[in-house]
Amino acid sequence: MRVKLTLALSDRPGVLLKALEQIALNGGNIVSIIHRRDSITSGYVPVSINVEFPDSASLERAKKGIEASGIPVIEAETLEKAICTILLIGAVKIEDLLRRVHELGSRVAEVSMTGGLTSPCIKAVIEAPSEKLSTLLASLESFAEEQGALLITEW
Amino acid sequence: MLRCIIVGYGFLGKRLAKLIASGAVRGIKLVGIASSKGYIYKEDGFLPGDLPDDLRSSSMLRLAPASELIDKRIADLLVELTPTNIRDGEPGLSHIRLALEQGMDVVTANKGPIALAYKELMGLAEEKGAMLLHEATVGGGIPLISLKNRCLVADELLSIKGILNGTTNYILSRMHFEGMSLDLALREAQMLGIAERDPTLDLEGVDTALKLVILANSLMNMSKRLSDVKIKGITGITSEAIAAAKESGMTIKLIGIADEDGLRVAPKLVRLNDPICVHGTLNAVSFNFRILGRLTIIGEGAGESTVSALINDIHEVVKTRMRSNRI
Repeated sequence: MRVKLTLALSDRPGVLLKALEQIALNGGNIVSIIHRRDSITSGYVPVSINVEFPDSASLERAKKGIEASGIPVIEAETLEKAICTILLIGAVKIEDLLRRVHELGSRVAEVSMTGGLTSPCIKAVIEAPSEKLSTLLASLESFAEEQGALLITEW
Repeated sequence: MLRCIIVGYGFLGKRLAKLIASGAVRGIKLVGIASSKGYIYKEDGFLPGDLPDDLRSSSMLRLAPASELIDKRIADLLVELTPTNIRDGEPGLSHIRLALEQGMDVVTANKGPIALAYKELMGLAEEKGAMLLHEATVGGGIPLISLKNRCLVADELLSIKGILNGTTNYILSRMHFEGMSLDLALREAQMLGIAERDPTLDLEGVDTALKLVILANSLMNMSKRLSDVKIKGITGITSEAIAAAKESGMTIKLIGIADEDGLRVAPKLVRLNDPICVHGTLNAVSFNFRILGRLTIIGEGAGESTVSALINDIHEVVKTRMRSNRI
């Protein structure tokens, strides 16, 4: 899995090396490193590291190791996205669906509505971080129930 | 020669009786037939000309319950084909219990007893040294149970996903190809004899759930009941939803799923080029094995094809008993 780790490094020699050691120890393969020196705040430099980890457990171990070295992990964003199509049959407002998907850290890439007022059906293509997909679908299932609609997902 | 009785003399019972009486299944003779009207028996075996169209027209008819025929101990094998009852499995459940208690082997197409009391019945069969085979309960003539239990015994089955109900698949296929409403497709299916007059169990996904319980218990060593299945049927599916799916190269199918997350039945979006995406009354099941990976099997899930599953199970009983010199 590919992940963008954003770390807050103190602007001293050798600190980055400590973080890289933890990534390497946990099987991470570094793809790129970007120092955002233009964004130095209170002596900390935000550094974005794109890493390929074998699995989510190794990512979690690396994060713990980095933080144990005294380096704050600001964000760990999964760069792999899962794309899935859903149908919602029933009177659901598109904006409510968009809000629910957004709240779960995902986005609606395409959306359309057919059937007018008599037989409404929303089709949406959703892009979600791979590891969040099952949580998202479970949440959309509850959303459909709240709205009295029928959710159909890919099998 | 193995002696067999058939309990349940409807579509399947009549076809099977003809096949056995005409000698199409080797090593077995038919000595008794029962229906809700009573039973007939002939210890030296029925010939095709002896078989009545309706038991009531037979001069041999005894107006007594099927349990009396089973209790006569004139047979080695019971073929139980009474209609499925999802509330308590009766009368099939009592027939199967009675036969197994006497050490009779049992072959059945009746989903009720197998879905409701699988562990109990298999335990009883084991205790009495009897065989209980039920390939015909799921997927008609498609060899689902024997495929896993005979051909892929050593591999671990991780999940089962499939279209297990021909009636709903016919309705959804007509909605997909002809743009029909669900009501119209249902009426057409009823006119063609594909859907029953009361199609509730099919449309609401209960029939699929029953079959899923049978597959999960017999192939994945689970102990599930019908109440353990999360069920959503197809009654809410609109032609607009099917059209929206079609635009994306998909359609909607009623899918039963058994995996580590449990058992569920729901309408799902399926890609048109997926091997499981079969149409009309066909059934399709995708197994996911630990070593083999995905294996999809397709076939007619009801009607005449079910007779094939029955005669194969009967053949298995005959073969096993011949080996053990019990006949």
